[in-house]
Amino acid sequence: MGPRYREFIKTQSKKGGYLTARHLIWIRRASQAFFLLLFLFLLIESRLPQYVFIEYSHVLSNAQDINIEWPVKFFFQLDPLVLFSSLLSGHHLIKGFWWAIGLLVVTLFLGRVFCGFICPLGTIHHVVSWVKPTLEGARMVRANQKSPGQRVKYFFLITIITGTLIGINFTGLMDPISILFRSIALAIIPGLGTGAKEVFELMAGSDVKILNLIGYGEVLLSPVFGYTYKVFKTAWFIGLLFLAILFLNRIRPRFWCRFLCPLGALLGIFSRFTLLTLVKDEEKCTGCNACTKSCQGAAEPEPGKDWQSAECLMCFNCFDSCPEDALSFRFRWSSPQSNKKPDMGRRAVLAGILAGVSLPLLGRLDGQAHNVSNPRLIRPPGSLAEKDFLTLCQRCGLCMKVCPTNVINPTLTEAGMAGLWTPHLIMTQGYCEYTCTLCGDVCPTGAIAEFSAKEKIERPIKIGSAYIDRGRCLPWSGNGPCIVCEEHCPTSPKAIYFRKDIVAGPDGKESPVKLPYVDLTTCVGCGICEYKCPVKGLPAIRVISAGESRSMENQILL
Amino acid sequence: MKKLITRRTAVKRLFQISGAVAFSTIDWPLHGTEEIWAQKPETGFIVEGLGQTEGYSIKELTKKIFDAAGGMARFISRGDVVVIKPNISWARRPELAATTNPEVLEAVIELCYDCGAKKVRIADHTIHDARRCFAITGVGSVAKKTDADLVMPRSSLMKKMKIHGHRLDIWPAFVPLVEADKVINLPIAKDHGLSTLTLGIKNWIGGVGGRRYALHQDIHQAIVDLAQFFKPTVTLIDATRIMVTNGPSGGSLSDVAVKNTLILSDDQVAADAAAAKLFGVNPANLGFIGLGEKWGLGTANLLKLNRKKVVI
Repeated sequence: MGPRYREFIKTQSKKGGYLTARHLIWIRRASQAFFLLLFLFLLIESRLPQYVFIEYSHVLSNAQDINIEWPVKFFFQLDPLVLFSSLLSGHHLIKGFWWAIGLLVVTLFLGRVFCGFICPLGTIHHVVSWVKPTLEGARMVRANQKSPGQRVKYFFLITIITGTLIGINFTGLMDPISILFRSIALAIIPGLGTGAKEVFELMAGSDVKILNLIGYGEVLLSPVFGYTYKVFKTAWFIGLLFLAILFLNRIRPRFWCRFLCPLGALLGIFSRFTLLTLVKDEEKCTGCNACTKSCQGAAEPEPGKDWQSAECLMCFNCFDSCPEDALSFRFRWSSPQSNKKPDMGRRAVLAGILAGVSLPLLGRLDGQAHNVSNPRLIRPPGSLAEKDFLTLCQRCGLCMKVCPTNVINPTLTEAGMAGLWTPHLIMTQGYCEYTCTLCGDVCPTGAIAEFSAKEKIERPIKIGSAYIDRGRCLPWSGNGPCIVCEEHCPTSPKAIYFRKDIVAGPDGKESPVKLPYVDLTTCVGCGICEYKCPVKGLPAIRVISAGESRSMENQILL
Repeated sequence: MKKLITRRTAVKRLFQISGAVAFSTIDWPLHGTEEIWAQKPETGFIVEGLGQTEGYSIKELTKKIFDAAGGMARFISRGDVVVIKPNISWARRPELAATTNPEVLEAVIELCYDCGAKKVRIADHTIHDARRCFAITGVGSVAKKTDADLVMPRSSLMKKMKIHGHRLDIWPAFVPLVEADKVINLPIAKDHGLSTLTLGIKNWIGGVGGRRYALHQDIHQAIVDLAQFFKPTVTLIDATRIMVTNGPSGGSLSDVAVKNTLILSDDQVAADAAAAKLFGVNPANLGFIGLGEKWGLGTANLLKLNRKKVVI
């Protein structure tokens, strides 16, 4: 049937109908473009919309939460690695997990089509490797030979899975969706945004009329960058790693997908019995190696070798490039077990298990998961207790991207090694809006549980508590009146209250002032007092995590 | 071709100009310059509106008080860009009285457009995130309904300006408020921890950027300086609901008292003085009212003004 089928396709394609390899390539490109754009669109829409309207007559009667209208969690729901890791470590079945199940079923039948057709990080790597390949001719053929290094991705996968069983979820450090979201949301968009802002401000300050007018163009960018420019602590590091991953494509095409990606490894295992297989016609093959030269996954497409279903990214390049029609992708219903087993290698498996066991243990050595943590490690409202939090957090940066005040930042060392890039609140950079619920709304795994504005106020959800540094505080230190912290305190009754007193100023003159005090029973730790405190540098009122609702231990009051 | 000025004409003109300048600076003993410049073309006015009947229309009350002051057309001309400065600092529901009543705002915007305003903008440098403030206070939906612009308070719109105040010299101000043809100050009357009350004059804290929370160290003088800088065309204090305690952010219905009152004046001090009485506060005890009178911003003596009352 093989040659006849090819014949048939050929005649049909000459007539302008039916699917040829060329069509497949274009379908793949269209699909890659679509999913990459969808990813970027959802990423940009992961924010409080610039114009939100609520009919105020509704508002008059009940508190209404503001939610995001787009399914911004979609790519995380589609990611089986997120599904498995949160199931194994947090025993939590994430919302919308059916997408991931669906993807696995598709992988069972069609192989790693996710890598070739959907994965936005894969698409970026594909474009980078394709636009300007460093290697040419025979060197590229050599580079695309399967190498033992491709087992490293299984090592990472096994490390992650074992780690989740031990109870710390490292998935987000390596998961392609998390990496891409984190890198674009925390590094690339803010980087471009602040760059553009500086250029526009320079132009707006110019005396040349035209430049001055273009300076107002800043407004045109706000659909992408928002009306405030966000910045993230240590985002430079995230951005640098992303650039490094892109650079790897100069060493081998789709280096990341081939050698490192744990999701690719997982899908590779699931494509063990794929029905869509590469069928080779050895008689037609002239050994030109055009297939190997164009192969993105180093999956040994040339006739005479065994095609590696676990390594194949389903890009269909070999199918398209073969001048002799010796290669074709076909459904083989009869004996799928004739596919090659994924080549994991015993060492990768053993090392993966070892690393998976030891990393969580090492990560707990600092005691942060169990004992009282860093006082400045303030987690977003609705976060689970630290131990549970680390079993679910994907470090994807969705909560950081969505936070309207830019208070949520990735950690570097604050949460210990096990908590790298998890979210924490830096109150000098923003504050937690009293009735805002967005971070819980978007968290793909439930590390930040969903909560309503009503719950947040009435329970209340505390993220820490404020304390006053009397040596710095203006009225306490006799340097003048100030009530800014009390003014901004959002609770009712206010958690910051006054006692009237007489304080001597620097000149020794006594004057009546209102001295602020914190009521720990009502303080929710939102941090607006710290953010708005006029004492810059180190504010005179600061928030620590003690008192947070999520912890039984990290408390002050009985 | 350009006509050249001869030396003779140049010298002549120079003499003319310097002579005119010298002449104009002469202190005329008969009148006194202060009086000439301080005298307003007419005395100010204050209109207090009270909605007494159950289910009265706020829109109607707003229209009536503007009518009593001579109609909105007295303040807004055809083609004006009007900027309204409400107090929507907090992302709170309107019923909590932390923010200007959206119904009053809607009524004012409609009156402006009825008078032929080219564009009405709503501008406030909010304390909470502006998008959330616009949404939750109801101002966003009013803007959409009435076709008014919402101005996002972005840092590029805060430009350093010469305030010429007694305390403030140069401070970043919110540009749309300065560039407007007409400005309407539309605050809500609330309790405040430092200035006792936040009314019309205090509302100008929301018109500046920079380190504005440092202004609290000399709040009374700072806000009077700002009020003199911004000089609204008219001030309308929304006291339909007022926050009597736990201000200025409140957060509970128990902090709110219903007064069904609107106060309209072209005198910023008088408007605040009238509103203070709703709280049972003697205006003389408010620092910014005393300073406002001292620096000629207005008068707290309502008897000096053309005073009217509207009840529906």
